[in-house]
Amino acid sequence: MKKLSVSLVAMLVLFSLLASLVMADNHGDMAKVRVLHASPDAPAVDVYVNGDLTLEEVPFKTDSGYLEVPAGTHDVEVFAAGTEYAAGEGVLQADLEVEAGKAYTVAAANLLESIEFVVAEDSMEVTEGQAKIRVGHLSPDAPAVDVGIIGGDALFSGAEFPSITDYAEVDPGTYDLEIRLPDGTQVLPLEGTELAANTVYSVFAVNTVDSLEVIALVDYEAAGSPDEMPTTGLGTPEQSQSMWLLIGGALFLVAASGLVWRKRFQ
Amino acid sequence: MCGENDFNKLALLLTAVFLAGCTAAPQDEVSVRSAEVGFAVKAEPARTEQPKELEKAKAVETEKPAAQSKQAANPINELNQPGITPEKLSIPSIEVEADVTHLGVTDTGEMAVPDNGDELSWFSPGYRPGQRGRAVIAGHVDDLDGPAVFWDLTELEPGDEILLSGEDRELRFKVHKMESVPLDLADVDTVFGYHSSPELVLITCSGTYDYDRGTREERLIVYASLVQE
Repeated sequence: MKKLSVSLVAMLVLFSLLASLVMADNHGDMAKVRVLHASPDAPAVDVYVNGDLTLEEVPFKTDSGYLEVPAGTHDVEVFAAGTEYAAGEGVLQADLEVEAGKAYTVAAANLLESIEFVVAEDSMEVTEGQAKIRVGHLSPDAPAVDVGIIGGDALFSGAEFPSITDYAEVDPGTYDLEIRLPDGTQVLPLEGTELAANTVYSVFAVNTVDSLEVIALVDYEAAGSPDEMPTTGLGTPEQSQSMWLLIGGALFLVAASGLVWRKRFQ
Repeated sequence: MCGENDFNKLALLLTAVFLAGCTAAPQDEVSVRSAEVGFAVKAEPARTEQPKELEKAKAVETEKPAAQSKQAANPINELNQPGITPEKLSIPSIEVEADVTHLGVTDTGEMAVPDNGDELSWFSPGYRPGQRGRAVIAGHVDDLDGPAVFWDLTELEPGDEILLSGEDRELRFKVHKMESVPLDLADVDTVFGYHSSPELVLITCSGTYDYDRGTREERLIVYASLVQE
């Protein structure tokens, strides 16, 4: 039983059991999906994809990292950790459509009684030398907020629950950021925020407004890639191997001509 | 008619036996050793920093009970994971110890490799070891005198450790996947691509020697994930 193995996992570690999906060879048709638990009063959860236990014991404020899944539509269903799977009985279910080559964040948001999915497509690119950031408002009882420089302009205005903003591209550097109400009242300071070049960030405001906090994730970091694999052998097999090839070829010819001769004499 | 069929079968069988004999010729040991390799660990632990954060939060609470709902450190800055510039690599299970040079691409767009069989090359335009993404290190399987630094890479097993040092730090990686991929099917973007946790990829040559292309037909690719200390 899957449940048995669940109870054996003592640590709060996520295990991806969908080997066939994660390890699939055909990367050309794959999408990336990460799951984020952002429902403050929900227990740790198990996530089933197409009926298979894919993530287990995901606690609040934790993300799965990107998992590779085939492009197409997947039945994603969330259960309280350890609950026995029964199709359609989860606390949350959605048919999630993912496209090849794209990446997605699937957040379980809101309070347990009205838990819901918030899905956003994640950026897998950034202008060279720039940083990219967006924010997600996943605090169910918090009002609309701005995120901006302390004493300065807003980078994101009027973000409401439940939503994830578009990305803003900024120069890399250190920023004194804050989450604030549109009237300027500070909700949460994020001073000395270092945004690195060639990096894409998502910053999610989670938990209830009286204990509001932030989960920061890296969506992507850019780096160079060659066009071709390396040539990693300096030697060539012994010449005697080509002798074997020659001998094999010669025998093949002999055998083949034997066939021809047989045919002629029929 | 029946006799002719038998003769045909015999001829084919003989041919097959001799052809098989030549592809498995012991002279090309690399090809033999990489013929049946490959594994993937089924359960791959995904990243979670939750326990670490919880501990930190607790520690802060006991130190400063006043700071309650505010987070102690800026969570965005905790994402900073620059990795290292690798200098030495060792794989105790197969007794590999080698210096790591830093190379980019060749004129033809290939990942560049050292001109000798003793050193390894890190693809320095790519991800740094310990950074999120796949850092790639290549080494030769053989050189003009015989076995080279990655001769025994096929012997790796799941869970084997790879130690990589540089900048006075040592990173520990654990092997979780090995595959021998035909050169034309190798997905370069994935092998050298982004991953939401740090991985180390080792590459060497495998498969039978292709005299026309002047290289082996396959590449042995080993994936290892960073053991977070």
